[in-house]
Amino acid sequence: MNRIENHPILGEPQKTEKVTFCFDGQEMNGNMGEPIAMALKANGVMIHRYTQKEHKPRGIFCAIGRCTDCVMIVDGKPNVRTCVTPLKDGMVIQTQDGVMPKTEANEVERSRV
Amino acid sequence: MKRYEVIVVGAGPSGLSAAIEAAKRGLKVIVFDENEKPGGQLFKQIHKFFGSKKHHAKIRGFKIGENLLEEANYAGVEVALNATVIGLYADKEVVVRRNDQVFHYKGDCIIIATGAAENMVTFPGWTLPGVIGAGAAQTMMNLHGIKPGKKVLMLGSGNVGLVVSFQLLQAGCEVVALVDAAPQIGGYGVHAAKLSRTGVPFYLSHTIAKAHGEDCVTGVTICEVDSQFKLIAGTEKYFDVDTICMAVGLSPMSQLLKMSGCLMEDNPKRGGQVPIIDEFGETSVPGIFAAGDVSGIEEASSAMIEGRMAGVCVAEYLGYCTHEEKNESLAELKKDLESLRQGMFAPANRGKKITKTEEGIEISDSLLKNGFVAEQEIERYPGVVHKSGIHPVIECTQNIPCNPCQDACPKGCISIGENITNLPVVEDENVCINCGMCVASCSGQAIFLVDEDCGDGSATVTIPYEFLPIPEVGEKGFGLGRNGERLCEATVVSVKSVKAFDHTNLLTMRVPKEYAMSARFYAS
Repeated sequence: MNRIENHPILGEPQKTEKVTFCFDGQEMNGNMGEPIAMALKANGVMIHRYTQKEHKPRGIFCAIGRCTDCVMIVDGKPNVRTCVTPLKDGMVIQTQDGVMPKTEANEVERSRV
Repeated sequence: MKRYEVIVVGAGPSGLSAAIEAAKRGLKVIVFDENEKPGGQLFKQIHKFFGSKKHHAKIRGFKIGENLLEEANYAGVEVALNATVIGLYADKEVVVRRNDQVFHYKGDCIIIATGAAENMVTFPGWTLPGVIGAGAAQTMMNLHGIKPGKKVLMLGSGNVGLVVSFQLLQAGCEVVALVDAAPQIGGYGVHAAKLSRTGVPFYLSHTIAKAHGEDCVTGVTICEVDSQFKLIAGTEKYFDVDTICMAVGLSPMSQLLKMSGCLMEDNPKRGGQVPIIDEFGETSVPGIFAAGDVSGIEEASSAMIEGRMAGVCVAEYLGYCTHEEKNESLAELKKDLESLRQGMFAPANRGKKITKTEEGIEISDSLLKNGFVAEQEIERYPGVVHKSGIHPVIECTQNIPCNPCQDACPKGCISIGENITNLPVVEDENVCINCGMCVASCSGQAIFLVDEDCGDGSATVTIPYEFLPIPEVGEKGFGLGRNGERLCEATVVSVKSVKAFDHTNLLTMRVPKEYAMSARFYAS
């Protein structure tokens, strides 16, 4: 796990409500209100999106909402900065491919273009 | 359109300080910040700050943030969060985006305290997931309790790179190397020494040649550079890492000032595009002020003073205090700011090569190149003395504005004097009572308590220890040198953790007496 269980200065993490969310069809757990990107990182997810033109992977980069590298599709809305968007119970989060969800249909569409 | 007397943009250290000073004098102030929480970057700073008592020295950054919020609350400052200022127009019209709506406000005065954004360097593979900014690492581990990676390479040896590397170790990550293209370490020597003694290697005159990996970082190749910063073929070194962290400077986020018509300049000494301001932060547009990193990259302590200056100026500008009151407050603040801008790392000394301390002692070459003071160099400094019985050994070898150690010792064993950048001197006549307050008070973790000869062939060395797990008394391990190498066997004889030490544990280890002046860290 990527969560720090005990920290020499900050101590143990505050107890927060656990929520479940869906990442690309997979059920995952996270802490209520933490940035979506942190919950994904805790679950080992590194790739948040693929670039439109070159189809290159991107993940967390600045973690403070500046760079927009970590944008994903959240509850159907694309280009959501996951590093500054709080996680809620039942959220549906999808890897973004260009500006669409990464699905097989989109892959086919892309290869035709 | 809603009107405020003062609109502050940015609820970080300088913005909040500005708002406090204005609100205290009766002005109606609102602070807009794009983030979900106020405090800017202060809440990610878990290290003890440098400076004097008045400048919050030896207090950890997040605690300073808490105190500032409390003060702002008490002064009646209104902070609007999740509110991004997207425009600053003529007649001080401020346009704010909240959720997906845009609102217009009008300020009689504007204080821009938007801070700075991280710089980046590019190299093949730099866009891979796993390449992150040092600020991102801090955000993950210190705010959200997430490890940025298992094995991390840090690029950049300024104070941010050094401090964040240490925080990565505290979070339980491995820092495989600290790399900088410059030929010498940019940040405080004491910060570098903290890392070196745990075994983190420094590669100066090196940069990243390539990040490896398809979907995310799996490794990194670094390469030596020549004096023109060109890669030298054949000097490549590979590291197995999952994270590459960049701490390569900051740039002022001054776009709003430019947009509002303030005269700007490109000033590399201040970090890039900055407004032209007077000494208290007023721009070329009357009533628009700039404070903190947006007007020149420094650090949080000076940003807070600059913010207070702007707050006082605004109060006078709008008639809430007299000219005399303003001048009195500003004179005091100016004195504080000047005291922070002293020493080897002062803004005025940026880019200068300094070879001697203010006392005329040669600077440790090894510290600048390797991250630790060499054994043959350490005896030069006035904090390194030999005495019978327990006594402090202060390995503080550069002039930086910091003096908490002087006040920490109840017996007057340590003196710095009036000039805050002086190297600490261990006084010969006063007797150490082994209380450990100096060790815990040193933000640079550069003070050790040493009993060079316990009479049985052993010595004891007390070190500051901010890692987990805390070693058990009686545990046998190793004494490490300043460069992190295993020197000798060591036994833990005590671990003191009291509230006054503020999470800096004092670990005392027994080592063979010949290592009294060289064992500076413990590893089990």
